[in-house]
Amino acid sequence: MFGYYVDMALRSLKRSPVLTALMVLAIGLGIGASMTMITVLHVMTSDPLPGRSAMLFTPHLDPLPLDHKHRDDGPDPTDNLTWPDAMALLSAHRAKLQAAMAGGSLLLRPARADLRPFTVSGRYGTAELFALFGIPFEHGQGWSSGDDASRARVIVLGKTLDRKLFGSASGIGQTVRLGDSDFRVIGVTADWRPQPMFYADLSAQSFGDTDQFFLPLSAAVDLKLQINGNQSSWSKNDSGEPMTDAEMTWLQFWVQLDSAAQVQAYHQFLMDYSAQQKVLGRFQRPATEAKLYSLMGWLEHKNLVPTDVRLQLWLALGFLVVCIVNIVALLLAKFLRRSGEISVRRALGARRRDIFLQLGIESATVGVAGGVLGLLIAELGLWSVRRRPDDYAQFAQMDMSMLLGTLALAVVASVLAGLLPAWRACRVQPALQLKTL
Amino acid sequence: MSLRMLLSILRRHSLMPTLVLLQVALACAILCNVLFLVQQQLAPMLAPSGIAGNELILIDQLASRQKPWSAAEVRRGEQVLRQVPGVRDASAAFGLPMVAGLVDMSLQGGNGVKLGVNGYLGAGLVKTLGLDLVAGRDFLPDEYRDFGMGGDGNSKWDPGAQQPIIITQALADQLFDGGQALGKVMSDPGDADGHGYRVVGIVRHLLRNQLRLASDGRADNTVLLARRIGSTSMLSFAVRVDPAMKDSVREGVAAAIQREFGDTIKAGLVARVSFYNERRAQAFKSERAALWLFAGVTLAVVIVTVVGIMGLTGFWVQKRTRQIGIRRALGARRADILRYFLVENALIVMAGVIVGMLFALLGNGLLMRHYELPQLPWIYLPFGAALMLVLGQFAVLGPALRAARVPPVVATRSV
Repeated sequence: MFGYYVDMALRSLKRSPVLTALMVLAIGLGIGASMTMITVLHVMTSDPLPGRSAMLFTPHLDPLPLDHKHRDDGPDPTDNLTWPDAMALLSAHRAKLQAAMAGGSLLLRPARADLRPFTVSGRYGTAELFALFGIPFEHGQGWSSGDDASRARVIVLGKTLDRKLFGSASGIGQTVRLGDSDFRVIGVTADWRPQPMFYADLSAQSFGDTDQFFLPLSAAVDLKLQINGNQSSWSKNDSGEPMTDAEMTWLQFWVQLDSAAQVQAYHQFLMDYSAQQKVLGRFQRPATEAKLYSLMGWLEHKNLVPTDVRLQLWLALGFLVVCIVNIVALLLAKFLRRSGEISVRRALGARRRDIFLQLGIESATVGVAGGVLGLLIAELGLWSVRRRPDDYAQFAQMDMSMLLGTLALAVVASVLAGLLPAWRACRVQPALQLKTL
Repeated sequence: MSLRMLLSILRRHSLMPTLVLLQVALACAILCNVLFLVQQQLAPMLAPSGIAGNELILIDQLASRQKPWSAAEVRRGEQVLRQVPGVRDASAAFGLPMVAGLVDMSLQGGNGVKLGVNGYLGAGLVKTLGLDLVAGRDFLPDEYRDFGMGGDGNSKWDPGAQQPIIITQALADQLFDGGQALGKVMSDPGDADGHGYRVVGIVRHLLRNQLRLASDGRADNTVLLARRIGSTSMLSFAVRVDPAMKDSVREGVAAAIQREFGDTIKAGLVARVSFYNERRAQAFKSERAALWLFAGVTLAVVIVTVVGIMGLTGFWVQKRTRQIGIRRALGARRADILRYFLVENALIVMAGVIVGMLFALLGNGLLMRHYELPQLPWIYLPFGAALMLVLGQFAVLGPALRAARVPPVVATRSV
């Protein structure tokens, strides 16, 4: 019976091609617009580091003085840590793995004569950074904590930058001139690009290019290298050494904690540390201000989805509702026009249930066609989103779950839209209609 | 046919009119809100800047490497820039539009109104930016006080005396009754022991730095302060150039900056040298993309709604062919039939518009709560209503004409 109804639906839809085309177009447009925005949202809120993200946490302290007034439109200074705090957490070594880091963009002067100097962005970090995030190496390895202590001028290159500078042979042992200093290449990582860049200063940069180099944070501080993120200082007097100043936050800090007990213990450690700093007079705010965010919790806290995207999502969903109401109207017109046909079937013994099923299948057929069109429109929409200048835009891609979701949404929407018209058509009085035939 | 009869027909067959009504209501709600969003996006793009955009080169991303630049070094930088062929004027400045870094302050005018404004700092900005002074005068050379960022002690904000200030015409109108601002005093409510500002000049337009706030008549909330850039570790310059020498002068300016500051700039930084108009185009790129999206949504909603009304009314006309035939046989003219369907549609659409306005306000309320959008102005509602009426009449025209062509003889047949 199902196959027969599908056949009937196709015949019926073919009989009025214009109306069918209009319905498919309406549902296609609605689904396409909604799925474009849902996909953008899906990409922006997805897990940047599947598998590891549950073990990664970021501690946050509040070293601000009590009278510090935070401006609403400015970045929050407590998003990052000061140098002394980061170093204290690092040397306490209470987590399995921990690393402090900051982003930077530096002018690279290649040794090759055919390359002009260019700016590359990368990360300054401490030794456990690679193990913490599970950054895979192609050649060589990261630096040791001894290198951190001795402020060694060593560097780990990303694969893309390594290829650009040294061709197919890896550049291990070679030197790279960044800013005004030479660094010895000790490792090459595979391209590693979690999106959003959860470990960066999210107020400054959240989506974008992968890090092209990693070098020891201590060397960066030593050389006073440029920093990409926010540097929030509340210092009254200029110490002349802003990077190591106790009143400027600029460092990101991540730890790996494997169990709930460890998370609990680390949070307690943070509060104890804050309380101790308060006793010492450095901190003024209560120790309960110390927070420990999980990776996904931190992304949620930072709310990376721009207002514009949310607005556009609501707009697209509103548009989908308009389309669904439109299809209700068109299906109603279509079904009621066939009152005569339905009456004949009823008179020949078909139950209301059968009529309902037949019309439902016809709506679902429209939905499948609309879903396919919606997929094409969503791909077109995503292509236009990728051409937007915003930094998240280039990652707007549809994956398998979104693809199936699109089709499912289209069928559900069209079947819902078909409910009222089908119910109405079922209630046609066969006798009345047959008389007029 | 009387209106009462028309209404009673609508009441008897309420499903079709209800669906049309619902379509109109939803479309009206979405269109009102989208038009409002478009206006919000467009306002900063359409606001006049007051600046001679294709004659102005902006230079920023200059941060000093070790110690801050001294006031004398900043003066020499201005001097060197002025000597580049094609340059008419140059000022070191803070807070300029399309430049990173902003100065925001709050001002209270003679009529008690408080406003948040952006301040622009730098010597000779009226001339360098090419502003149109409509009343009063520019700052006198001896009125300027040094001010820097991250520099030494002479960078205090409050010099302990009343300071001259130049404001925009829009600010004068908002802060003083009758716009009579010249010579009057304004205070800074955030600064209790402040000494206030005396208005010495009024410029026609000057776009604020915070473009996101440049809507709802706030685009010109900008003041010029009598500050000269002193010892500072962050620098930006405004350079007025001869538009005839656009390309060569940009290279000259970039070379001069490199010569003068290349050795003391923070490692890895490159100064950004570009025309105001280029930066403006860049800054509004995202808004332009959003505008296309809104235009697409508007068009799609309009098309889908018109198609829906057409399909539904077409069916309804077909269903009532016999009644139309009877009316024609009883003496109704074609014009009567046509008018009947147009009036019927207008009635349904109007009811839909009323429901749609409620939806629109409801939707706007939700958006306001979650997305810091301002209240939807009432003016959008009649505008959206008129648009829907026109759309409804357009959609019904085809089916109504078909109805009018039904011959009276139909009444005698059984359809």
